[in-house]
Amino acid sequence: MNEAKKGMAIEQPLIPTVVEVIDIVDRTPDVKSFFVRNTDGSGLPFQVQPGQCGMISHLPVGEAMISCTWQEEQEYLEFAVKRVGLLTDELHRIEIGQKVGVRGPYGNGFPVEACKGKDMVFIAGGIGLAPLRSFIKHCFKHRQDYGKITIIYGSRSSADLCFKEELFDLWPREQDTQVFVTIDNPEPDWDGHVGFVPAYLEELAPSPEGAVAVVCGPPIMIKFVLQSLEKMGYADDQVITTLEMRMKCGIGKCGRCNIGSEFICLDGPVYYLEQLRQLPAEW
Amino acid sequence: MKVLNKSKLIEALNVLSSQQEVFVPIQRESQSGYFSWADYQPERDELMLEALNVYQSPKNVVLPQTERMYGIISQGMEVDIDQTFEDAHPTLIFGARGCDVKGILAMDEVFLTRGFVDSFYQARRANNTIVANACYAPGPNCFCTAMEVDPVEPVGADVIIHDCGDYYAWEARTGKGEAVTAQLDGLLEDKEVKLPSAQPFQLQVDYQGVAEKLKDMFDHSLWDQMAEPCINCGMCTYVCPSCYCFDIQVKMFGEKGYRFRAWDSCMFEEYTREAGGGNPRGASKERFRQRFLHKLEFFQERYGTPLCTGCGRCIIVCPTDVNIARIIKAVKEAEVE
Ligand code: SF4
Ligand code: SF4
Ligand code: FES
Repeated sequence: MNEAKKGMAIEQPLIPTVVEVIDIVDRTPDVKSFFVRNTDGSGLPFQVQPGQCGMISHLPVGEAMISCTWQEEQEYLEFAVKRVGLLTDELHRIEIGQKVGVRGPYGNGFPVEACKGKDMVFIAGGIGLAPLRSFIKHCFKHRQDYGKITIIYGSRSSADLCFKEELFDLWPREQDTQVFVTIDNPEPDWDGHVGFVPAYLEELAPSPEGAVAVVCGPPIMIKFVLQSLEKMGYADDQVITTLEMRMKCGIGKCGRCNIGSEFICLDGPVYYLEQLRQLPAEW
Repeated sequence: MKVLNKSKLIEALNVLSSQQEVFVPIQRESQSGYFSWADYQPERDELMLEALNVYQSPKNVVLPQTERMYGIISQGMEVDIDQTFEDAHPTLIFGARGCDVKGILAMDEVFLTRGFVDSFYQARRANNTIVANACYAPGPNCFCTAMEVDPVEPVGADVIIHDCGDYYAWEARTGKGEAVTAQLDGLLEDKEVKLPSAQPFQLQVDYQGVAEKLKDMFDHSLWDQMAEPCINCGMCTYVCPSCYCFDIQVKMFGEKGYRFRAWDSCMFEEYTREAGGGNPRGASKERFRQRFLHKLEFFQERYGTPLCTGCGRCIIVCPTDVNIARIIKAVKEAEVE
């Protein structure tokens, strides 16, 4: 089946490609990364740009739209999945070697070209770091194309911080880069910052001059971060964020993920704040 | 002009039915809709070519209420997709009204354009022919002309038939239409025809400017009033010729099973409920507003035409007397700051 399907992804967009889970990494108590590649070991079912998504399915159970990470020369796709419901529960139970279905890539992705030459301010909460991480890695890979990089990340507790190795070890070592991490409540062994992301952001106050802020996280965090950015002088065309809606098809057909006349699966999930302001206030 | 004498209608349907699956408007017990002519039983079914409109639209021919997508074999770690179920068998819709043809054209836009082509819809639609039945005497709830439909010469029809009393004037409009016309060789006659004259519409609807006006009415109090009676039963979406939203689900019987899709409704709470429990359209009013804005504004913005074709079905079936014609009127008359 997989053989027949190859090269036909566009002709049958709703039919997944069967791939093999080659590695599973626990990111937090409720986030796992699944690394997948073609069952014959020949690499990727498809390529993705930073910010794009893929449908991952545990075939006998269901499908979910998940932010997908891939970089040039990487022989696998990574899906960082948070356990939130029935399907993701089942996914968290699978083991290395499991065959799963994937389809994609879906969505517009981040405007990596348009951001060239800018200082980048990445602001994330919880699992929201997963899509931003693709963009962050892209910036490091093309370091000379971007200015100063500031990463502000928070989660409920230290255990809930995703991608710790990158946060605490790899990224801070990159040129002209600062990484700030915060958790919501104090913990005995935590000597870092404590507090919510929007407040921390205002305290750090990265300058809007020549900068673009990219925001991703729980809707409530996004809402307050957008307010903070506005206060700090960021214009609507300097702020980029991502929207979330329930999805089924991923290709703009099944109807449910719309906000106004936009289908988030197809036209989104990435929007400049100035675009969002044109949409009905349902986000 | 070619004509089909009504005395030869049954024979014609039989001939067409031998070449493709033919769907005709039929009253079957308490149901009416487009059913396969091959299942027609005179003692149970009544042919309803004159009705405006049968309860169900013919959308099920191109978008079945449930449709299998692909087969799954699941043996622990080993999982595979063993077959896909695109259905390309030839079909013909006989007697669709202009509003229903427009409904299918709207679905063509959704399923066949904007980046992705839906292989299931495409397989059915590519092999589907439409014989439309021209409307000269609109029903009490019809307002198709207000929604960009020509009831006498509907765009999208492969053949148009005109009811002239004892016979149907038969007019092939496309290559597909010519092909089915050829199937009826020997049954169609040539005749000088006098087409009926069109009667006026009983329901007056003015959609001019409504899509533009709605852009500034998302938070208007009109939605509270209008949505108040709605019980979110979804009947309006079920009978609508252009409501196309679907759900995707899986069914497993032990190691084997399949993924399928099924009509869904924006009126249902589950429709937009997220895995984590949140719901951007959790309130009844929000879902109601979504349905009517999708019909009257959003679809127009995206595809350049409204998603309501003026068939009047939702007006008839709604148990709480929600009426899209009244909603259009209310929008027209509403004051917007
Ligand atoms: S048929 Fe009437 S009550 Fe039912 S969902 Fe539609 S508008 Fe609401
Ligand atoms: S919204 Fe109502 S009147 Fe309009 S096409 Fe659908 S069922 Fe017919
Ligand atoms: S998920 Fe189906 S339209 Fe977006």
